Amino acid sequence: MPPIVRVNDLDKYFGRLHVLKGIRLDVELGEVVCIIGRSGSGKSTLLRCLNFLEEPSAGTIEVDNLVVEAGGKGRAHRQLIHEVRLKTGMVFQEFNLFPHMSVLGNVMEGPITVKGQSNSEATEIAEMNLDRVGLLFKKDEYPNRLSGGQKQRVAIARALAMEPKLMLFDEPTSALDPELIGEVLNVMKRLAHEGMTMLVVTHEMGFAREAAHRVVVMAEGELIEQGEPESFFRSPKDPRAKALIEGYRSGARDE
Amino acid sequence: MDYQDVRPKSQSELIFEAQLRRDRQFRANVALTWIVLLLILAVMFSGRNNLPFGIGGIKLDSAFMQANWSFIARGITSTIGISILSIILATLLALFAALGRLSRFPPFFAVSTFYVSLIRGTPLYLQIFFFFLALPQLGIILPGLWAGVLALGLNYGAYMSEIFRAGLAAVGKGQREAAMAIGMTARQTMQRIVLPQALRFAIPPTGNEFIAMTKDSALVSATGFVHELMWRATKVGRAHFRNLEALIIAAVFYWIMTLILTALQSRLESRMSRGDR
Repeated sequence: MPPIVRVNDLDKYFGRLHVLKGIRLDVELGEVVCIIGRSGSGKSTLLRCLNFLEEPSAGTIEVDNLVVEAGGKGRAHRQLIHEVRLKTGMVFQEFNLFPHMSVLGNVMEGPITVKGQSNSEATEIAEMNLDRVGLLFKKDEYPNRLSGGQKQRVAIARALAMEPKLMLFDEPTSALDPELIGEVLNVMKRLAHEGMTMLVVTHEMGFAREAAHRVVVMAEGELIEQGEPESFFRSPKDPRAKALIEGYRSGARDE
Repeated sequence: MDYQDVRPKSQSELIFEAQLRRDRQFRANVALTWIVLLLILAVMFSGRNNLPFGIGGIKLDSAFMQANWSFIARGITSTIGISILSIILATLLALFAALGRLSRFPPFFAVSTFYVSLIRGTPLYLQIFFFFLALPQLGIILPGLWAGVLALGLNYGAYMSEIFRAGLAAVGKGQREAAMAIGMTARQTMQRIVLPQALRFAIPPTGNEFIAMTKDSALVSATGFVHELMWRATKVGRAHFRNLEALIIAAVFYWIMTLILTALQSRLESRMSRGDR
């Protein structure tokens, strides 16, 4: 079976800054890939290029047989990006829940506005996904009444309600108080066990070790090393990867 | 004896209480001064001549005031009506001007900045006369009310575009990204996610503009077609040469209107800032 995500020679510049340098990455259906690296290594940018929140400068991105060339213009290109976004769900560091909608409204928004589902259909799907993250009992609350962990779980439900083939997580626990990280990681682990394809940018090495099939290390815009978590954490080869892992072991975080 | 009652107060409690006392005292003194100022005004206009410091009192024609206050008061509805119509027009224009200002489509951006620059670069008084006096020369004759609404709406719209621009800017980038990530188009993102939040930010300052507008609507009286407060005051004032009395009556009405609207506005504001919707 062909990989569900294929990144080919991806380059990204912010002005003169070269933040992604010839990235190649394949992700298989059902695979959980953790992307780790220091701040500024380009890991978030790579993730954001996958659903075109950042427009890549060069290269191609394939998501579930949709091939998008960097630098495309016009209606056809926009349509392609739209289809890629329908296949991917994204979870942000800052949750980005819609504050003017209830929890249920947040989760129903995509199915109704984007997919044109009926109210009852969307309600059913939204409630099912809220149940999946254990927050059905909060469906009538507004986001500002939720804890950070609950907000992030709603954000996951919102993404899942679009029934994506691929979930992108951009440091989903970095904005959370330490005691709230666990509930979010648990939801993500369950999702991984259910066979969801996931790309996770994270500093949570415990999660990477436990739930990931593969760990990918980035430094200075390049993909410097990848491997199974077991062997990778035991003996990282690249000295920069080694330094990163040792930094985590000693409890130091670069943020 | 209850131990709680005799517990000595901690230093922070004492400081807090002293602060409360000072705040209360300040408010009481402010209220007192207001009352004194109002009394001085009342005495000055009471018509008594034996005031202290040799100040001569001003005699108001109370018969005229009693006979004509209701004629002037009938202008209140016109004043409020023209203000409501104008603020609706101004809000729509301001919204478009703000969207244009954020647009990357050159003609839309240009129209928006041109409009704002032209209106802000000329006096409101001139604009009002333009619609009443200049347009008829071109064969365009607008009914008085609509010319007034058009002038006020266009003028306030240009100033209020800044409010809406700030409101749109206050909606974080993360909101747009979240909407785009679930597949919403730029238009859907604007309609469903950005605008509702931006309008929420913009409601309290729009209330302030409305209050200001109820007073600026007085300028429309200059054209003589809208029978609002100011027009009525000057009309009866001139007819009986009782301008002082007529203007005082109008001033009191404007002031009371402003006080009521300000009170409503601050209630709205506190509800908006508390609200989770």
